[in-house]
Amino acid sequence: MDRTAFLGRARRRLQGVGGPGLVTSFPATPASGTDASPERFLAALRAVNGEGLLVARVALRDAIATALIADDGGQAQDMKRSAVVTPDVSDFAAEIDAALSDAGFEVVRPATGQEWREHASMAAVGITSALLGVASTGSVLIGSDANSPRAASILPETHLVILPVNRLVPGLEEALETVAALATTHSAPFLVTGPSRTSDIEMEMVLGAHGPRRLYVCLVE
Amino acid sequence: MTAMDTAGSDTAAPGARFEDRARSQLAKKHLPLVIGRATDTREGRRRAAFSSLDGPGLRRAAEAVRAYTIVNLPDYLSRFADAAEAKGTKVFFADDAEDAVGYVRQVVSAHGARLIAKGKSMASEEIGLSHALEADGLRVVETDLGEYIVQLAGDPPSHITAPAVHMSRGDVARLFTSAHGLAEPLPDDPAGLTAFARAHLREVFLGADVGICGVNFAVADSGSLSLVTNEGNGRLVTSMPKVLIAIMGMERIVPSFKELGLLLPMLVASASGRAVTTYFSFVNGPRLPSEVDGPDEVHVVVLDNGRSQILSTEFRSILHCIRCGACQNVCPVYRHVGGHGYGSVYGGPIGAVLTPLLVGFERAGDLPHASSLCGACSEVCPVGIPLHEHLLGLRREVAAAGAPVSERAVFGLWSRVWERARVYRWFASMSRVAQAPFARGRRIRHAPWPLGRWTRERDLPAVARRTFRERWSER
Repeated sequence: MDRTAFLGRARRRLQGVGGPGLVTSFPATPASGTDASPERFLAALRAVNGEGLLVARVALRDAIATALIADDGGQAQDMKRSAVVTPDVSDFAAEIDAALSDAGFEVVRPATGQEWREHASMAAVGITSALLGVASTGSVLIGSDANSPRAASILPETHLVILPVNRLVPGLEEALETVAALATTHSAPFLVTGPSRTSDIEMEMVLGAHGPRRLYVCLVE
Repeated sequence: MTAMDTAGSDTAAPGARFEDRARSQLAKKHLPLVIGRATDTREGRRRAAFSSLDGPGLRRAAEAVRAYTIVNLPDYLSRFADAAEAKGTKVFFADDAEDAVGYVRQVVSAHGARLIAKGKSMASEEIGLSHALEADGLRVVETDLGEYIVQLAGDPPSHITAPAVHMSRGDVARLFTSAHGLAEPLPDDPAGLTAFARAHLREVFLGADVGICGVNFAVADSGSLSLVTNEGNGRLVTSMPKVLIAIMGMERIVPSFKELGLLLPMLVASASGRAVTTYFSFVNGPRLPSEVDGPDEVHVVVLDNGRSQILSTEFRSILHCIRCGACQNVCPVYRHVGGHGYGSVYGGPIGAVLTPLLVGFERAGDLPHASSLCGACSEVCPVGIPLHEHLLGLRREVAAAGAPVSERAVFGLWSRVWERARVYRWFASMSRVAQAPFARGRRIRHAPWPLGRWTRERDLPAVARRTFRERWSER
C-alpha cells in the first residue's frame, strides 16, 4: 500500500484525539544503575550465569589462559582448538596470543566476512572487546562493526570479552545513549547479558541455546 | 483476504466457538497443571522484580509514553520510515495480510530464496506468513526453540513468550525423534534436546537465504529496530542471511532510544522478572560498506491489518500493548484453557480484546466472554491497558451488533416478569414446580433448554422451597 494513503488513513482516524505531552523523566527501572563499580558489574554478570573477574594488565595473560583451560575441564591440551580474535582487542594482542598459546589454542584472525563465518563456526572461543559494560545488569555492548565482526561474538561456544574497566556505565539508560549515538556508524550493535539461554522446555533453564554457552568477561584495570 | 484466511491451522475455522475450543482444551487434564506452574513462576518473578521499585510510577510513565506515541502514530511512523530509508532500509506499508505476504513473496522470489530462517514474530503469525511461503514451496524454519517445537508439532504457539508451554519434555523428545527420523529415541532431558535443536538450527542460520524476524520496538528518531531474545536466534537471523525482512505491527514505534530505556525493562520484567534479556539486538540498517558481516538488504514491513480502525475507538489503548504476556499469566480463564482455547494468535486477555477488533465480531465476538472480569489482567499490565473494561465494552458492542433472537426473547420475558410483583410471585412458585424433575438438593446440574448451555459449564441454584417474601409475610 502507498505510504501516504496508509498514514493518511491513520491520521483521519486520530482527528481530534489529543492528550498530554511526552513525559521525559521516568522512575528507576529494574535495569537502572547507581554506580559503575566493577564489583556490581561482576555480581550482576554472575547472577545471569556469566563469569568474569577484575584483573590487572600484568595478570591478564594468566587470567585468559586459566579461563580457557577451565573451559572443558582441562582437556584443551589434547586437541588443537581455535580461537577467533577481533581487531578491537588489538591493544591486548600480546597477552591474548601468549595466553592462547599457553592454553593450546590456535589463533585465527580472519579477514573477509566469509572467512569470519567459517572460522567462527568452528572456533571454540571468540575473543572481542566491548564498547561498554553495564554495571547494574552485567551486560556488554558489542559494536559489531569492522573491528568486531558479528560472527565472533555469536557463533563460538565461548565468548570471551576483554573490557577496560573505565568503560563501565551505571545502568541501561546510559548504555542506550551510546547505542543511540551509534545509529549511523554501526549497523547492528547488541547488548549481551550472560550466556545464551532458553527455558522453552518445561521452564527448565538450559544454557547455550543458539549463542555462546559461556560468557567470560575480563575487566582490565 | 483477511488474516484468518491465510492463517491456516493457527486459527479456528469460522463459526467455531470459544466454548467448544475451551471444552476440548479442558479435556486435556494435565493442561491447567502445566500452564498453572509456568504462569505462577512468571507472575512470581514479575512481582519480585518490581517489589523494590516505584511500580505504579513506572506503569504510569510507560502508559504515558505509549499513549502519546499512539496518538501521534502517523508522525512517528513517517519519521521512522524517513530515517530507516536514509540508511538504505526499504520500508513497506502493508494494508492487510495479503498486502504484507505479497511483498515478502516478492522479495523472497527476487533473491531466488529456498531456505528461510525465521525469528519469533507474532505479527507474522497473525498474517499466516510461514504457511503462505511454505505453500510456495519454500522451507521456512522457526528458530526460537519453543516456536521450532510447535512448528514441528503442527500446533500454533500457546503463550506469547512460552510458545510450547503446553508440551512436556517427553512430548518434545518423541517429536524430535520422529520429525528427524531417528532410529534411537532421544532422551527426554531438556539440555540434550536443546543441544540437538541447536546443532540442527545452526545449519539453518548459516544456510538460509533470507531471515525473517519480528520487531519489539522500532525507533522513530533513527529508523532502528530493537529485538529482544534470550536464545540468540534474533541476533543470528538478523546477522547471518544476506537478506533480512522484519515484520512489525504499525503500533510498535517508540520516539527515541530514551523511551527504550523505560520500555525494554518494563517488557522484560513483566514477562520474566529479569531486568534485561540475554540479547538486546539493534538493527540500524543493512551492513555498512566498512563492515565485514551482516545483511546486504533490510526490509521492514509495517502492518496495519485492522489496527488503524481501532485508533478512533474507545479501545485505542489496546495498541499500547508491548506483548509481555503478563495478562495471560494471571488470567484464570487462560490458565485453564491455554492459548489454543482462543483460536487466535493472541490468547488470554490481550487476545480476547485484540482479536475481535482485528478480525471482526462475526468471527471472534465470543472472545470477550472468555473472561471472568476479575480485573487481574488490568492490574499487571505494564502499560496501563484497562483490559477488563475493554472486555466489558466489547461485550456491549457485540450485543448491540446483534444478540441471538433466543437470548433477546428470554431476557425480554425476564424483565417483564420482574417488573410486576404478582407476576414475579407466580413465576417463582411455577419455577418451584417446574424445576422438580431437574433439581438435586439445592442445585440444578442439568437444566433443559434454554438454560441447558448455562448448566453445561456450571450449576444453577434451585429456587428455594419458600421464598424470602413468603417467610417475611408469615412473621
